[in-house]
Amino acid sequence: MTSITDAPASAAVGIRPPSPKRRSGRRTRHSALLLLLLGPAAVLIAAFIVAPAVYSVYLSFTNTQLTGFAARDPQFVGFDNFVYLLTNADFIASIGHTGEFVLYSAIIGQTVLGMVAALILSRPWIRGKGLYGAAILMPMVVPEVVASLTWASVLSSDSSGTLNQLTGLFGAASTDWLQVVPMASIIAVNIWRGIAFAMIMFQAALEDVPAELIEAARIDGASAVQVFRHVTLPLIRGPVFLYLLLTTISTVGAFGLVYLLTQGGPGGQTRIAAIYIYERALQFSQIGIGSAASIILLAIVLILGFVYVRLAKVEV
Amino acid sequence: MKRNRGIAAFVVAVVAAGGLAACSADSSSSDGSVTISIMEFQQTRIDSIKKVLPGFEAAMKKQGKDIKVKLVADVLTDDQFKTKVTQQLIAGQAPDLIDMGDSLVPGFAGAGYLAPLDDYLDKWDGWDHYYPQFKEAMVRQDGHIYALVHDTGVQNLFYRKDVLTELGIDTSQPATWDDLIARLVEVKEKTGGTPIVIPAGTAWGGSTWTEGFQPILGGTDQDYYDLETGKWDLESSGFAAVFDLYSELYSNGLLPVQDLENPNPWEPTKYVKFPAGEIQVAAQGTSGWKFDWGPNGAAPIPDLTEKVDTWQYPALRSGDEPFGWSGLGSGFAIPEKSEHKDEAMLLAQYLSSGEPLAEQLVSSGAAAPRDDLADVKPYADEPKLLQAGEDLQSSVYVPTGDGAEQIAQAIAAATELIITGAADGKEAYAAFVKDATDLLGPTLVK
Repeated sequence: MTSITDAPASAAVGIRPPSPKRRSGRRTRHSALLLLLLGPAAVLIAAFIVAPAVYSVYLSFTNTQLTGFAARDPQFVGFDNFVYLLTNADFIASIGHTGEFVLYSAIIGQTVLGMVAALILSRPWIRGKGLYGAAILMPMVVPEVVASLTWASVLSSDSSGTLNQLTGLFGAASTDWLQVVPMASIIAVNIWRGIAFAMIMFQAALEDVPAELIEAARIDGASAVQVFRHVTLPLIRGPVFLYLLLTTISTVGAFGLVYLLTQGGPGGQTRIAAIYIYERALQFSQIGIGSAASIILLAIVLILGFVYVRLAKVEV
Repeated sequence: MKRNRGIAAFVVAVVAAGGLAACSADSSSSDGSVTISIMEFQQTRIDSIKKVLPGFEAAMKKQGKDIKVKLVADVLTDDQFKTKVTQQLIAGQAPDLIDMGDSLVPGFAGAGYLAPLDDYLDKWDGWDHYYPQFKEAMVRQDGHIYALVHDTGVQNLFYRKDVLTELGIDTSQPATWDDLIARLVEVKEKTGGTPIVIPAGTAWGGSTWTEGFQPILGGTDQDYYDLETGKWDLESSGFAAVFDLYSELYSNGLLPVQDLENPNPWEPTKYVKFPAGEIQVAAQGTSGWKFDWGPNGAAPIPDLTEKVDTWQYPALRSGDEPFGWSGLGSGFAIPEKSEHKDEAMLLAQYLSSGEPLAEQLVSSGAAAPRDDLADVKPYADEPKLLQAGEDLQSSVYVPTGDGAEQIAQAIAAATELIITGAADGKEAYAAFVKDATDLLGPTLVK
């Protein structure tokens, strides 16, 4: 048995190894380059993400307000803000609305429809893939405000609203969709907007599934559903859970779309946590309570993230 | 490589220099002129201010002062304006003069964002023409004045005279809420609609308190806030009575509940159904004659003065009399961090006098807070506004201070419980007391 060892390249060409002094100089240059490349990003992250987050944690333990005499002299109040929020029916309700919004729009809607779109696009016999893909990608490209205003027009209570025109074809009276079914409306809009990202992620994952495994399962007599359930899905479990993690984080923090469509109404039915925080912190000027609510939301997202990572064993 | 580095260094230097120059931009120019800024957020006010600003610059020039004015015109809702201007005040980036609703002044003044105007006003001859009750109402909890009120109005119940007459409903002043509710029930029976809109719930924001609840409360109870101690009396008897009234209106099906929960509840109610005659009574300030339903208003009603008239608020409890609620409207405030307070005050004084003021009053539909405007055109040609000015003398007003925003928040949440059917008057009142106590903290509650 012959063992092969790699000789140092310098030895192969007869070059002497660099002296310790030269090595040290190279290391210094290497460190300087690293600092130059990573430094600006690190400074920006520290200034605009870490510092505000730390400040927010500090604020959550104070009664800081933006207006009124209390704004002049904020006091440390310990866990009072957290106790207040966790016994406040409006906040609890907003967490419930957020859960409903995330479950139906992100976890079920976007994931399932995104997977369906990716599976269809992965079929070799499908024609017009470009057009189909572009149509699904469009909602992601459109700016959030434009998307919201478009949907406000589609769901308008006026008889000229697109949906009312459609239902009017069947003789139905005009409906104020954002008033009558507000949560279902914003869930539908968020699904529409999020399908594209899910589709892209699942498409990439599906391409990595070895075709021979699928073929083998087919030869063994598995149906399409069985192939998906027992072969494809286990192989793409990682990307699926990674997507669930990402979409949960982004949907929990969703604000613009919902605010522009319903402003949390009617009667607080779509007041998700982000809108509750906005109202408290900026409309009612209670930055301390708003920050505490943000911290609670952050804790919830961290727990969900931890669960996802454990379930998928995804390296993030 | 060296050349690239040189270009990069040049670009960095230019960007840095530009940024630093922008940061250090001063509104005083080398020729001695000063540029000040004024912020308006309602289109009608923007239009009227635009007309009168050249007059100010010319007037100052005559006095040997070279002051230029930049109008920061940003059309926003009340809530958007408050959010934006709060951030600007904190950052020290607010315009030199801000036209803001008086309900915002206590919060901003309390936080120290606004400059006290007392010294300026004492030296201004126009101050002598202000009605004494407004001078008194402008004084805040710490004894200072922080905003020069330039328009006022009377909050009343506007009603569709034409529709009610056609339905055979009595249009004389209702003496009590019981009288009015009986009439409204009759209207409901004949039309099947919801005949009255009073701001309620959270969607209407702070106006649920300032334009809905507080005017009714102030007519029956003026002890809910003590300006001297700066404390709110949540046990004051009027609160429970007004919550019961809201509850009664709701249980009789008289309020447009679904519209009140609309994100912009004033649109389906005041801007659609009242002009269409489908809502017959609306709580509304003097601005209704111009800003809301006037020929250039948000939802014009043709032949407005023939179709619409006003009632005072009826008496709520035994011993009360019908009354109008006096609103302080808007005022000019100067940020504490402004570098041009003197110039900004000159502009505030100019805009609060003579023709410039008359022009603004007519465009926004407001009454004058001073006694020397009745003959100044175009205000002199507006009988409804002149009448409102006279009515102000006998209207009710309860100045409040720190904590008004928290009270507004708690009232909005509690009235929301009523209009969603989650609570009756007593339960909503109990929820209000708990919420307000939490929000105000121990120092602001009696």
